[in-house]
Amino acid sequence: MTSMTQSDTLIAEGLVKVFPGVRALDGVNLRLTPGTVHALLGENGAGKSTLIKVLTGVYRPDAGTIRLADGAVVHFSGPLDAQRAGIGVVHQERNLVPAFSVAENIALQSLTQRFGLINRDAMRSLARESLRRLDVELDVDQPVSRLSVAQSQLVEIAKALALDSSVLLLDEPTSSLTADEADHLYTVVRRLRDQGKVVVLVSHKLEEVFAVADTVTVLRDGRSVAEAQPLAGFTRSQIVDLMVGRAHADIELAKRTVDSSAVPALELTEVSTSLGHQGVSLAVQRGEILGLYGLVGAGRSELARALLGLESITGGTVQVAGKPVTIRSVGEALHRYRIGYVTENRKEEGLFLDQPLNRNVAVTVWQRLSRAGLVRDRSEDQVLEKYVERLGMRISGPRQPAGQLSGGNQQKVSLAKWLAAESEILIIDEPTVGIDVRTKAAFHELIADLAISGIAILLISSDLPEMITLADRILVMRDFAIAGEVRNDHVYATTSQAVIRLVHAETAA
Amino acid sequence: MSDQSVLEPVPTGLGNRRRVMTSMHRTEVILAVISMLAFVALAATTNGNLLQEGTLRAVFQFLAVPMVIGLSQMSVLAVGQMNLSVGVLTGLCAMVSASLMVQNGWPAWLAILAGVALGAFVGLINGLLVVVTRINGFIVTLATMTVIDGVRYGINGTATFQGYSDELVRLGRASVLGAPVVFLVALVVALMVAGFFARTVPGRQLLASGGNPLAARLSGISNDRSIVLAHMLSGLLAGVAGLLIIALSGSVNASIGDDLLLPSFAAPIIGGVALAGGVVSVLGTCLAAFIVRLVDVAQAQYGINPRWVDLIVGAVVLGAVLLSQTRDRGRAR
Repeated sequence: MTSMTQSDTLIAEGLVKVFPGVRALDGVNLRLTPGTVHALLGENGAGKSTLIKVLTGVYRPDAGTIRLADGAVVHFSGPLDAQRAGIGVVHQERNLVPAFSVAENIALQSLTQRFGLINRDAMRSLARESLRRLDVELDVDQPVSRLSVAQSQLVEIAKALALDSSVLLLDEPTSSLTADEADHLYTVVRRLRDQGKVVVLVSHKLEEVFAVADTVTVLRDGRSVAEAQPLAGFTRSQIVDLMVGRAHADIELAKRTVDSSAVPALELTEVSTSLGHQGVSLAVQRGEILGLYGLVGAGRSELARALLGLESITGGTVQVAGKPVTIRSVGEALHRYRIGYVTENRKEEGLFLDQPLNRNVAVTVWQRLSRAGLVRDRSEDQVLEKYVERLGMRISGPRQPAGQLSGGNQQKVSLAKWLAAESEILIIDEPTVGIDVRTKAAFHELIADLAISGIAILLISSDLPEMITLADRILVMRDFAIAGEVRNDHVYATTSQAVIRLVHAETAA
Repeated sequence: MSDQSVLEPVPTGLGNRRRVMTSMHRTEVILAVISMLAFVALAATTNGNLLQEGTLRAVFQFLAVPMVIGLSQMSVLAVGQMNLSVGVLTGLCAMVSASLMVQNGWPAWLAILAGVALGAFVGLINGLLVVVTRINGFIVTLATMTVIDGVRYGINGTATFQGYSDELVRLGRASVLGAPVVFLVALVVALMVAGFFARTVPGRQLLASGGNPLAARLSGISNDRSIVLAHMLSGLLAGVAGLLIIALSGSVNASIGDDLLLPSFAAPIIGGVALAGGVVSVLGTCLAAFIVRLVDVAQAQYGINPRWVDLIVGAVVLGAVLLSQTRDRGRAR
């Protein structure tokens, strides 16, 4: 505790937020001083998003306190409370009403009424005033749908400040901006700082953080490992060390040997897609786990979707077992080329929560199970039984609805579905998100065993320790292209540094 | 961990299994109890009038159409769609079959077959329109409903067809072992629909598409095909309902089917079918149709103003939806 305590805008102490199976925040401290740009850093899953949601009243913390400048402890019961307390936020995704005008959007939460009707003049002048404070020129009467991404972002900042916020949270504000637009945004950020506000900046782009931020808080595994330190005291390398940190407790997995001279199970050569992938080349052998690491939005899941025929591949070649293929639909990927996709969102994309387990697993093989066009429950049960044992699922019976299982068991159901389809190539996307540590270890063994059994695995994960435990090689993806490859020696310290350096490499390189 | 066998419930599993007795089964049990109680109460308060042969036969005779029309709506609800055209389509199929018999001299079996095929064809059009235009099924079927409504009157104006087939009408009023033939037909149709959803690959794919389109797509199922198939099945069943009406009434005109839209929704919704798709209950739908039928019977027996019937049915539908929402919320927790 330093002497600034008196003048701080916001002090959060010991914040804890627990979700089923995971402590997203585990004692986070945050101290915001007026007139500073405060960088909030951490790897994927370190707890940044959760912290922002707690600060803006979306989540209620399970423990810990938030105090404002007057020293009073506040309990936000919703986002509106946080806004009234002077905490404005601009999320990574746009949150404007496209058909409304700029003025209507900015004044949305602070509409003044006259005789029960909206006072349009007051609304416009509020919007103009907010934009003037940012030194932004915009016609307040034009609909937001006509603005560029950068302009609508500025409108969101104006909206967040319309309530006279003293704290402004910006979550990855430049992720979809050009360099010039980002420069303009940061000019606005500095202006706000000079007006005595606190701007909390969440960004993965370290060069931008070093250019604009004054103080820094680093989160790792839900804890703050650097608290409101002056950024000038750190080098970039030190910040990376803080973010990655931890001596990782290795699990000993059985050694695998990969025959790298054989014909790859799946090979991509200079593939480009309609989503913007350029020159993506990679090859996975049978029995190999190829890791695909990168920041959220680097284009990893999108590449998987293109491979499955959900998006179109516009250039290059895809080869399965040495033969060039064109995959038009998931059905084709699955039944003809034996490529399975274990999705990241098991609830939204992987499971039929209302349906019994046997159907969830047998969905990919109904055609094969059917006799004279009819599928018997019994034959579905047999498919399920096989994988209950192999994957160690804990279920109460084959007719239990999938929605009743825990996260880890749901993930196993999703996996069983692809194994039942006799997949030879598995794309596994974020296998252990939201799964507790113990189940996670069991899952890692499972994935390694699948590789030993001869399945080629493309592992997409934002969890670096997981990547280093499992993968044989790690490809780092950035901006829809492969930024480089790291041969994984399973030594956490060196490999993680190499990977993180690729992730944060200078764009000029 | 891997020695945990399927059939050996884990300690916490026993409680789970009781919960596996899902909301669906609970709805069916509740509906069965309600219909029994309502039937007994009605029989008692009318001094056994309800149990007289003629009355009893009428109760089940006129249950056939609401049952089939409810199943028709249920088929599209299964993929999370709605079909507003079921009622008028039923009328159209009946009119076309009657017209083919009266004006073109077709034999009865061929004419009713044509009517049912027409129903399936219109359903196919509905489905293709939804899939190709990507317009919400509610809007598409609202439009086709209006079109079909007009076409119905184009066939024979406001005039009535009658005397088209004595055998058919006799069959419509006949009974086998005390059960009306039309009711037995509806029962067989219900069993076939139940078998379709529970046992066949397309039936299951349809439910998968309705329950989670994303997951279905990633499992290699074509959601478009499911939607088209659901609408086709819905149209086919509307055609069957049209056939039942021809057999039951002995005369048809262009206003047939106008009063079927609410009952088509009432049966599946009260029966516990999820509006969002993915969950169907043939038994629940049929029981709910029976309860709605009893409301009708009560009206006749007690001489209640018929307007109250719609009010009661409407209120029950609203109540059922509210109930299923609270149930879903309970499960989400």
